[in-house]
Amino acid sequence: MLSLKKIIIFFTIENPNIGYVTLSILLLTSSAALVGTFTFLKKKSLIGDAIAHAVLPGICFAFMLTGTKHTFFLLLGAAFTGFLSLICIDAIITHSKIKEDTAIAIVLSVFFGVGTLLLTHIQHAGNPEQTGLNNFLLGKAAALLEQDVWTFGIISFLIVITIIFFFKPLFIIAFDRSFAQSIGMSITFFDFLLTLLLVLAITVGIQAVGVVLMAAMLITPAAAARFWTYKIKKMIVLSVIFSITAGLLGTTISYLYPAMPTGPWIVLVVSCIALLSFIFAPNKGIIAKKMKRDRFKKKIIVENTLKIFYHLGEKDKNFFNKRTLDHHFTQKVSPSQLKYAIQYLQRIKCIQKNITPSSSKAIDWFLTEKGKAMAVQVVRRHRLWELYLSTYLNIPSDHVHDEAESIEHILTEDMEKKLMQLLKNPTKDPHQSQIP
Amino acid sequence: MIIPAKNPIIEIHDLTVAYQTKPVLWGIDFTLPKGGLIGIIGPNGAGKSTLLKTIMGLNPINSGYIKIFDTSIQKVRQRIGYVPQRESVDWDFPTTVFDVVMMGRYQYMSFFSNKTKDKAIAMHCLAKVGMDALAQRQIGQLSGGQQQRVFLARALAQEADLYFMDEPFAGVDAATEAIIFSLLQKMTKEAGKTIIVVHHDLQSVRHYFDWLVMLNMHLVAVGPTHKVFQPALLQKTYGGKLTLLHEVENLLQKKNINPREHC
Repeated sequence: MLSLKKIIIFFTIENPNIGYVTLSILLLTSSAALVGTFTFLKKKSLIGDAIAHAVLPGICFAFMLTGTKHTFFLLLGAAFTGFLSLICIDAIITHSKIKEDTAIAIVLSVFFGVGTLLLTHIQHAGNPEQTGLNNFLLGKAAALLEQDVWTFGIISFLIVITIIFFFKPLFIIAFDRSFAQSIGMSITFFDFLLTLLLVLAITVGIQAVGVVLMAAMLITPAAAARFWTYKIKKMIVLSVIFSITAGLLGTTISYLYPAMPTGPWIVLVVSCIALLSFIFAPNKGIIAKKMKRDRFKKKIIVENTLKIFYHLGEKDKNFFNKRTLDHHFTQKVSPSQLKYAIQYLQRIKCIQKNITPSSSKAIDWFLTEKGKAMAVQVVRRHRLWELYLSTYLNIPSDHVHDEAESIEHILTEDMEKKLMQLLKNPTKDPHQSQIP
Repeated sequence: MIIPAKNPIIEIHDLTVAYQTKPVLWGIDFTLPKGGLIGIIGPNGAGKSTLLKTIMGLNPINSGYIKIFDTSIQKVRQRIGYVPQRESVDWDFPTTVFDVVMMGRYQYMSFFSNKTKDKAIAMHCLAKVGMDALAQRQIGQLSGGQQQRVFLARALAQEADLYFMDEPFAGVDAATEAIIFSLLQKMTKEAGKTIIVVHHDLQSVRHYFDWLVMLNMHLVAVGPTHKVFQPALLQKTYGGKLTLLHEVENLLQKKNINPREHC
């Protein structure tokens, strides 16, 4: 069972092995996120997945050749088949009609298939060294040792330094390839560099996350970070923070429940972060977007209500007459919406309640000067737009009303001025109503 | 009608360009003068952008050669500026207006150099296109015309002598078009720059360009606008598909033959 003591042991790092594991996780998740951000921005997310799956046969080959599980040899084998898969993908695209997505799918499955085959073969071959090799499938952070920290440390350090040093060209190429080429940057070199970093990040990452889920460690932190910022440097920092958080949480969980593989937990945590970003991020999150839409909807309801006051006033030739909220209102606006609009308009002092004591139960409302001005604005924009549509777009005057119903809420003061100029300060709309 | 330029800034000799084995440009051979606004016009698929990119050395050449400033492009990259098609990049990319313009200063900067001067130049170029107030804006929030002006500011920041612009007037509002045109005019008339523009709108050709390249996979005409911009040549550029050329082209593609392959 989960015990507090175990968690304390984990975090105080009393057990030296836990220290190595934590440090390794920190290094490999952050380097994966760093490289992954650029892959994500270059819209090459699937390539990462292909490489991750393609390293499995390399690991198996390396084991079969050397007979040991030394990290260095395994990583060498992994990098080899990782690169080989990329060469295959490129070859398929250039020499056949097959497009990139299909080529990736083919290569990914063939390499992974071969890898699984070799792994099964090794497991049945009876070499006692092989135990733990299948950890590469789903990852097992607990299997990380002191020597691994050194390997990971060096590789991660190389990745971080390279990205910092080449940040500008990598950024320019990711944004605008042909411009980068035009100023003499070697696209081939930087593409190769990024691929090299990608292969390195993947080969170190699979120890903890496993080949199957490695792509998530590359791409998901970047995708989550994209919701929070529009500055690339902030995005990189955020995605590293996200992936480290996921790495540490995932490792903790798998330490507490030793039967659990690390990779899936890390991926679950990072996916939760992405999901939360998708929902809650300011501006780009779905809640923020919905709130924005709702605000606009409320604006429409309020303006439509004001318009009804105006139209009634136009008929009576007195805009400040008292009105009961009768069928004139309820025909156009639903009762609940009307209630909201009236409350709101009263609060911002666009309408006032009739305060003379009266025996009738109905409450009367009338426009204030401010309310009239606002109503005039909406009606003017509506009629200007109608006139614009019929004059400039040759739309028959009996078809322009519905269109103007929605546009009147969007038009800005600036556009209104332009319309006035364009239409030469008109006084009548296509239906011969006065433009206020 | 191919009128040679005196004192040419660009020489193109017997240029043929193909994508895979599909030829896009056939035997192009002309020169362009130094200074002034030069337009490249032609119908869709005429190879205008391809020609522009090939001159800049971004596309492999099947045969022929190109000289810029009397030498190869690799030696004079610092002297050229480029405005790619607006649609060629993802405007949702996480970056700001200012950072895009700073790309134009890349060639002048090194990792450890002091960037104060470069930043000042970038801001100054943004001001020239009337976008300095939006320097810290996310590029995704810009309108089409503003995006185009950002690209132009980036090119200005390159401080080049020769500019290549791929449809800088496409999809921009009238106000932006006027701003861009007056800016290009200033650059050519006052600063003596040469600007080569791929252009779509025939109505403004006579007004905009000093020199014109008329292209439809092969070269139709090159020369001063007032001489070559005339109905007969326009008809040749735009009118009627060159049926036979297309048939040969398809045949080459089918048989997988390089158009300049000899036995």
